[in-house]
Amino acid sequence: MATNTKKVPLKVKENTGYRIFLVINFLIMLFVVLVTLYPFVYLVSQSFTSEKAIIRGEAGIIPKGFNIDTYKYVLRGEFLHYYRNTIVYTLIGTILSLVFSSLLAYPMAKSELKFNRVLTPFIIFTMYFGGTLISNYILIVNGLKLKNTVAAFILPMMISTYYVILMKSFFQSIPKDLEEAGEIDGLSKFGVFIRICLPLSKPILATMTLFYSVMYWNNWYQAFLYLNKKQWPVAYYLQTIIRGVGAKEGDGDATSVSANIKSCAMVLTVLPIICVYPIIQKYYVQGMMLGGVKE
Amino acid sequence: MKKLKIACLLLTASMLGTGLAACTKEDGGVETSATTIPPTIATVATEDEEDLDYVYGEHFYSEVPVTYSMFFSDASWYAMKDTWLTEGVFKDIEDITNVHLDIISYDSNDYMNNITLDINAGNAAYIIPKIYDDSQFVDGGAIVPISQYVQYMPNFVDFYNTYNMQEDLLTITRNDGNYYKLPGMYDATMPDYSLLVRKDLFEAAGVDIEAIEKDYTWEDLCDALVKVKAYMVSQKMCSESDYIWSDLWCGNESGQGNGGNLLKLIGNTYDVNAGWAIGDGMRYSQENDAFYFSPVTENYKEFLKVAHKFVEAGILDPETFTQDDSTATNKFFNGQTAIISVNKSQYANFVSNLEENLGKGNFDVYYAVAPRGLNNYSPAGAGRLENGVMISQNALEELGEDEFIKMLRFVDWLFYSEEAYTLTKWGVEGKTYKVNDDGTKSLLPGYCCSGLGYASTSDSDIDIRLEWGYAGGNFWYGHTMALASDHFIPPVAAFVEHVSEYRDIVPLSPGLAPNEDQSEEMNLIATPLIDNVNTWTLSFVTGKEDIDAKWDEYVASCEDLNCQGLVDLYAEVYGK
Repeated sequence: MATNTKKVPLKVKENTGYRIFLVINFLIMLFVVLVTLYPFVYLVSQSFTSEKAIIRGEAGIIPKGFNIDTYKYVLRGEFLHYYRNTIVYTLIGTILSLVFSSLLAYPMAKSELKFNRVLTPFIIFTMYFGGTLISNYILIVNGLKLKNTVAAFILPMMISTYYVILMKSFFQSIPKDLEEAGEIDGLSKFGVFIRICLPLSKPILATMTLFYSVMYWNNWYQAFLYLNKKQWPVAYYLQTIIRGVGAKEGDGDATSVSANIKSCAMVLTVLPIICVYPIIQKYYVQGMMLGGVKE
Repeated sequence: MKKLKIACLLLTASMLGTGLAACTKEDGGVETSATTIPPTIATVATEDEEDLDYVYGEHFYSEVPVTYSMFFSDASWYAMKDTWLTEGVFKDIEDITNVHLDIISYDSNDYMNNITLDINAGNAAYIIPKIYDDSQFVDGGAIVPISQYVQYMPNFVDFYNTYNMQEDLLTITRNDGNYYKLPGMYDATMPDYSLLVRKDLFEAAGVDIEAIEKDYTWEDLCDALVKVKAYMVSQKMCSESDYIWSDLWCGNESGQGNGGNLLKLIGNTYDVNAGWAIGDGMRYSQENDAFYFSPVTENYKEFLKVAHKFVEAGILDPETFTQDDSTATNKFFNGQTAIISVNKSQYANFVSNLEENLGKGNFDVYYAVAPRGLNNYSPAGAGRLENGVMISQNALEELGEDEFIKMLRFVDWLFYSEEAYTLTKWGVEGKTYKVNDDGTKSLLPGYCCSGLGYASTSDSDIDIRLEWGYAGGNFWYGHTMALASDHFIPPVAAFVEHVSEYRDIVPLSPGLAPNEDQSEEMNLIATPLIDNVNTWTLSFVTGKEDIDAKWDEYVASCEDLNCQGLVDLYAEVYGK
């Protein structure tokens, strides 16, 4: 017997006060959005504005003397070389980071591992107390002889303790029964990790891919310390042109970089992250939550 | 547990003992400094010189190929290219001397950070050029006290003796009686930063800047600018509420939070440290033969008043002290403002930008001598020293003394000989430049050099600085005024001549050589004190605070931050 059920909308009754609240809320949010967006829109606009218009002080949120010459100029020059470096470092770095972080996090997640109670604090210790600048520098330059190599850029930040802890927590949330079933079927510990745990860990791996790739994309500090000019990533190159050449001691004959070139370089550098971010934004939030709550 | 407690007690006692011992030593008196270097130096020959077919100083050639490592400050506006090594300045140096320079290059923006790291990590290159302040390296033992070896450097010695450089070198001599940097040396003070004015607007307003610059004061300049502004308003070039002076090198990018170049220029003429020259505020009084803290003097008050006068009169834009440099230059280039700070290197660049924006023939500019204040000092400031070269201890240890002295011969040739100076500045005679009949030099057709003021006339012109590294800042500085000015374009040469003709040389302050503890104490006092001075100064100049009403409060704030302690420390170090 069919019953005639009527769906009741779960909606708060919109009285006048609530509507006013919504309007004010909307206006405040709109204001915040505009204030946040304005600098970036201005930047994009300036990158399409002619240099003469910028000198005349006519740059605004609508490009004056619209042209793409600046982009042609920037993409023709060394910018593209540094851009390519960044893509290579990000790809290699992210893959290596994922491999080594998961290889470290998985055993840490196993309470039955011998000396785990001793080893884990040692790893966590590095999150709070890093080596000093000079000692790290001596280790990498004098000890490992890695100066002016890609390894010097990737190695120091290949494993982030914080991300390893996130992964460890996720691995701990995978039911033990699944792993035991795998072992009964003849899988080794490593086989369980590869065949059972990793396929079940796609969410955390996706999150870590995002975290690590953003970290490598934006990093300039290791380049400043260890890489020569040809090896710079785009973030460091960008930093040098944004900082410009002030008239500090020795810069008396410096000529400044045009504002439209700076803007163009900034837009091109953040563009990949901006394009990817809306698609994978949810992972940022999820990443923070993953493994954080135990049932 | 008991043993642990005893161990802790012993440790505490030993720490206290050490601390007390340190205090006792400090209280026991400060070691007197031995800051003496000779008025003249005699060169010392080595045995190998007898086998040479030339005299050290004129040339340098190593019979066997040698390699010396050298740091290199790579300026981003003329970045180093491979061609510099294969066919440019470094190749030329190698061809002439048989010395291969192993270049360790760092971007000029981070040069000091990078080389500091390398020096502290024990990885210093043998030759360390482009050093302005060597104080942070002196106590670490990584740098050779070069004053002990200058007798092996004939060009250095010749310049030192000929132009009586002792007093100048004393200003960089440390507490142990040594100097650690081989500075660039001029035979006279070299003016650089001053003012570029729109001569056409000044003339239209009835002000003949060339006629008044000889002895005009900052007040006179302000009055002149008021007339210029009235003219510009009458011509509808700006409105009454607009400012006609928006300056660069004072704001966010390069002003360093202290008012940068402009306040330095004005302060210099009021016997006070200000702007870029604020330092720790201490200044030497010839009259009293003592050091004093200049930001609390009546002169400083006068300096503040005159600087504020430009803002109050609606001439100087107060945003000068916060804005980016490009804001100021853009306003000048598009004709919104009538005056701006300039230096020798930027003169041609500014004129070219004006031509591009206003059109050739639509303006006229003049590189004016900065006005007088309470004194008639040159804006060049005191002293004839430039940045310089340090030599690392690694060189001495790895090469051994004999080879080290040989390297110093090379350093002497590279940084102090006329032959190397001309090579690194102009390139190769007959290839990139020629010597004219009157002895002057000029680039050959087909070549240009932004650094030397030779603009490109066609797309096929090769910039000798960009392509081969000539006229770069690592080598090109110092020397006699005749050599240093051999590339000046007429307006720049006229400016340099006018400064030396119209203004007095700033007297040198006596060299001070505090020991490590004294330096640290000076820094501890000076850092918050100067922050306070800068904050108040900018408030006074921009009119946020009234100078007369708040002066006492400002002075009290400096006293609270122990400016007297700084004066006492200076007196202690100076020994008076």
